[in-house]
Amino acid sequence: MRNSFIRILVIALVIALIGVLSIYSSTYQKEGALWQDIYKRQILWLALGVVCFFLMSGFNYRKLWDASYFIYGLALFLLFLVFSLGIIRLGAQRWLKFAWFNFQPSEFVKLAVIIFLARYFSRKSESDISLLSRKFGIFRGIALPFIFVAIPMFLVIEQPDLGSGLMILLAFVSLLYLTDVRLKYIIVLLILLVAPLPLFWNFLRPYQKERLLVFLNPNIDPLGAGYTVIQSRIAIGSGGFLGKGWLSGTQSQLYFLPESHTDFIFATFSEQWGFLGSSLLIFLYYLLIRQGFIIAKRTQDSFGKLLAYGISILLALQVFINIAMNMGLAPVVGLPLPLLSYGGSSILVTFIALGILVNIDRTRAVF
Amino acid sequence: MERRKLFVYFISLMFVVLLAGLLNLNVLQGAKLRRLSKSNCIRLIPQSGARGNILDRNGEVIAGNKISYDVMVLPQESSQVDRAISAVSRILGTGEKELKAAFRKNFVSSSLPAGVADNIDPKKAIVLEEYKAEEPSIIIQPKPLRYYPHGSSASHVIGYVNEIDRWRLTKLEDYGYKTKDIVGFGGVEEKYDYYLRQEEGGLSVEVNHRGKFTRVLGFQPPVNGKDVQLTLDIRMQKIAESALSGRKGSVILMDPQSGAILALANYPDYNPSVFVNRRTSAINSLFNNPDSPLINRAIQSSYPPASIFKAVVASAGLELKKINLSTNFICRGSMMVGARKFSCWDTHGAQDIIQALSHSCDVFFYRTGLLLGGQNIHDYAIKLGLARPTGFDLPYETGGFIPSPLWRKINKFQKWFDGDTANLSIGQGDCLTTPMQLTAMMAVFANQGYLPVPYIIKAVGGLDLEAKKKRLSRVAFKKSTFEAVGKGLREVVSDEKGTGNVLSALPVAVAGKTGTAQVSRGLTHAWFVGFFPYDKPKYVICVFLENGGPGHAATVIARRIIEEMNKQGLI
Repeated sequence: MRNSFIRILVIALVIALIGVLSIYSSTYQKEGALWQDIYKRQILWLALGVVCFFLMSGFNYRKLWDASYFIYGLALFLLFLVFSLGIIRLGAQRWLKFAWFNFQPSEFVKLAVIIFLARYFSRKSESDISLLSRKFGIFRGIALPFIFVAIPMFLVIEQPDLGSGLMILLAFVSLLYLTDVRLKYIIVLLILLVAPLPLFWNFLRPYQKERLLVFLNPNIDPLGAGYTVIQSRIAIGSGGFLGKGWLSGTQSQLYFLPESHTDFIFATFSEQWGFLGSSLLIFLYYLLIRQGFIIAKRTQDSFGKLLAYGISILLALQVFINIAMNMGLAPVVGLPLPLLSYGGSSILVTFIALGILVNIDRTRAVF
Repeated sequence: MERRKLFVYFISLMFVVLLAGLLNLNVLQGAKLRRLSKSNCIRLIPQSGARGNILDRNGEVIAGNKISYDVMVLPQESSQVDRAISAVSRILGTGEKELKAAFRKNFVSSSLPAGVADNIDPKKAIVLEEYKAEEPSIIIQPKPLRYYPHGSSASHVIGYVNEIDRWRLTKLEDYGYKTKDIVGFGGVEEKYDYYLRQEEGGLSVEVNHRGKFTRVLGFQPPVNGKDVQLTLDIRMQKIAESALSGRKGSVILMDPQSGAILALANYPDYNPSVFVNRRTSAINSLFNNPDSPLINRAIQSSYPPASIFKAVVASAGLELKKINLSTNFICRGSMMVGARKFSCWDTHGAQDIIQALSHSCDVFFYRTGLLLGGQNIHDYAIKLGLARPTGFDLPYETGGFIPSPLWRKINKFQKWFDGDTANLSIGQGDCLTTPMQLTAMMAVFANQGYLPVPYIIKAVGGLDLEAKKKRLSRVAFKKSTFEAVGKGLREVVSDEKGTGNVLSALPVAVAGKTGTAQVSRGLTHAWFVGFFPYDKPKYVICVFLENGGPGHAATVIARRIIEEMNKQGLI
């Protein structure tokens, strides 16, 4: 039982430390104290994250059941706050300024939505121990939860943070699938989502359109929107088998690769550690997510089960989409690589999520 | 539970996709992406060494280097190149088309900058350097460029530098010469190009996304070419040039003891810097000029030696005992050889060898020549270094020509007549010599017995070549012959009726011979070849004026030179 605790902590710490090394390597040549200190800030966040991990692993997750509507409400509140008070950076209004740091509520919203959905779908009728979701009709099975999901999703996309919005949607669809909501409802939902996409196109920001077009062919604008993808592919590919060595990456350290310490940190890492390091990193992520699924599988409590699935899915999707976008296999959406990218909110929320996961595994025997 | 299993498989599949993507980038496209990564951040910056200097005997620079600035553009992205070129065009005021053509011409590879404009104004170079912040693909490359502090002085000795031509390239490819190399043409620049030539070096540096330098990856230092020191004395060179001023011909000053050339002036000359500045119109006019200013007349063209040749005939006569010091021939202004009348330029009366040389009496030498016969005269000309290149350092030396009965028979299937001998005796007919050959020949009479190989290279790269070579070959004439001919040459100046009497007023005792060569068209060529001081000869002087009139004209120039040398204390 303690095994999952130690395993998850060790894997997460290893990944996070790799992240610190990569952040250091991508920023140490940049001028200015702010850049120089960025890895120290990450270490601080990491320490804070580990504390949260310990706290959450000791915090009975069942209490989240009671608090889930409150958490959902808090998430919405924070999102509205971002709209009114949020600071604008890189053309997006995603951050809330606190005393000495900026907080990105969309990271928190992802987790909040998962908790909310787990709560929603794990309701049971008093006469039957089986989940209600199986018996849900189209309204309670799809439409109602979709409305609940759509509100924060819309707010997140409007920030604009297409990546996090998409993440919420994908997590929602995955949970629908996992909670045995009827397949035809899911298909109806997907059709309803996909059908208006051409219309949706017009609502996208110009840069988002550009990114999607560039995903289809990065060479249409090699110095503009396609630049990042091209440089990131070059960074990954030029690493070779063993990589260029730590602090020897030319792509990331000579500023060819933008966002080399956040969204494109995988390319930074891959350039320096090559195929070997990168596949090892992907394997570590796989192990971490596998732990999540194992915990989900052996948890009897349906709330805990769905929560564990939800958290694992969230991690898996973020890892996949981020790395795929680094490789040019997915369109560029602003999405951090959990545990590796620089960013306090992401690291904190990820550790909290992992703490919940550990707690689910720890508590399952109680029931 | 089926759905959950499926879902876990799906998640695992995502990771397999990631691994496949990684494999694709690293292995399948690895080589291409690595190359791209390098071209992203590696720039090759050529650094040219300086071509070796050409110095005079006192270390004064005749051909040196000065820094010039070239504009180069990095061919990374075509749109960037266009922008950069239009910026350069705005600042330099040169047409974009021209710059683009230059860019295309100089393009080698995408990591190597290609030149668009050479040798620009330093002020504009500074402006462009400032502009680099906006257009990082513009590179201002300092480059040493040939510089001639004395202008067109000694231009024929130095030669000029230009881009290698196809003929030289095919010849020199095996020695590491490449297209677009700058090589020497003519003179020392060509002959000693291998030593003067610099080795190009270069930096490979890493730059960031803005094209700003971050660190040096590799450095091959450029190697400067070796300096070549000449035996030339730029002061004497200038005296010779100013004395010649505007008259077609050449002047040579040589040390008779060694064969070292102290001055070698030609007119018309050219300013070698027009080739450096690529002033096309000026270059074209040099090539099209009917007076061929690029020709080094002192060694590259040959002329009839006329009366200068009498020194050869006199020595041959004395050596072969056809005449002696008391032999007298009477000059009545002309004589008959066969059925033809051969005239003298004056009526000299009784002449011995000394007087005949001094007055340049043709009849005396007709008679001596007829006693000797054509073949003997030819043989003695050969002994005195005529009819073959002297072995001088500079390229494209011509050998001249001395006819002989044997040559006539073999090549022309014609008989040699006495008239031919008479013509040859006074250095006319088919007889051709270069000013350099006559200078070397005169040195034999100055140093009494040694034919020098004229040379102009004193040292290469600090290595003294002068000390290494024994350049004199013995001309085994009797001492009395040298004394008699020497006395005759001295009398040319000292005798009141001597043809070179204008030189007698000089504070140094000069000996020499004048010559007036008849040519088929135009004015006669004027010669004066002599040496001074007579007792202890330090200099051989040769003044040649192409279509310059009678020998007197050349003698006057020789006087001007010796006067000026004396004034500057060079004797």
